[in-house]
Amino acid sequence: MGPWGYVALAYGIVWGAIVVYWFSLKRRYRDAENELNRLRSLEAAPGHEQN
Amino acid sequence: MAQSTNALKKSKGILGALALLAVAVGLWWSLLVAPPDAYQGEVQRIMYLHLPSILTAYLSYFLVFIASGMYLWKREPKDDLLAHAAAELGVLFTALTIIEGSIWGKPTWGVWWTWDARLTFTAVLLLIYAGYLVLRASIDDQQRAASAAAILGIIGFLDIPLIHMSVYWWRTLHQPPSILRPDKKPWENVHPAMLTALTISFVGFLLLYFYLLSLRYRLGEMRQEIKALRLERGI
Repeated sequence: MGPWGYVALAYGIVWGAIVVYWFSLKRRYRDAENELNRLRSLEAAPGHEQN
Repeated sequence: MAQSTNALKKSKGILGALALLAVAVGLWWSLLVAPPDAYQGEVQRIMYLHLPSILTAYLSYFLVFIASGMYLWKREPKDDLLAHAAAELGVLFTALTIIEGSIWGKPTWGVWWTWDARLTFTAVLLLIYAGYLVLRASIDDQQRAASAAAILGIIGFLDIPLIHMSVYWWRTLHQPPSILRPDKKPWENVHPAMLTALTISFVGFLLLYFYLLSLRYRLGEMRQEIKALRLERGI
């Protein structure tokens, strides 16, 4: 591998990993937001029975 | 309430956009504007990733150190949330530093890895904070998990001075610092175009770091709210 090959490998892995982490964080964030909204809507409906 | 949530989302969006812009300019300077190194040639461009990522990791562990100390002192859950978020990001940036270093090491030293003092202490740093995350996940009681993690978070930080001084205290393959050295100013030791590329890259990493940290911190807050609501409703 030539010098630019090593540079491309390093930049590709680093920015690829950061993008993957960002997507995974956004997914976890969205899941938590949805769950929180669901629980708040349950709270706002008094008398709602849990299964 | 809705207005403050919207304002928070907007400020996160602005921070994210600024980070993206700084990263793009940093990439342009690092790959196209900065000259190749006189000895190492083009492969030295890995430095524009390597140095900003380890400095970002150090900053993250410094936040873990401070927030952990504050948690043990005041027992405020927000300090624990900050320490947890910063530790996760610290692990990410340390792992990236080791990978970049390994890729840089192969063409310059001839090996992907060697048990050099600086490399070894950096690997230990990664293991300590990966252990921090495992420790938190393995203790059910939230307060006990936070206290145990805070103690480990503080002890783990002591590895950073060892990493920094390792190139002076032991005979190592790793070069001494080019920027953070006591005898020379950075601009006396590094070409201005290289220093500019490094500075812009570091600003990009910092902005990106604070953007990710704000998302990760809010995620922790929401998870706590979910836990509290579930407990309240007996779910």
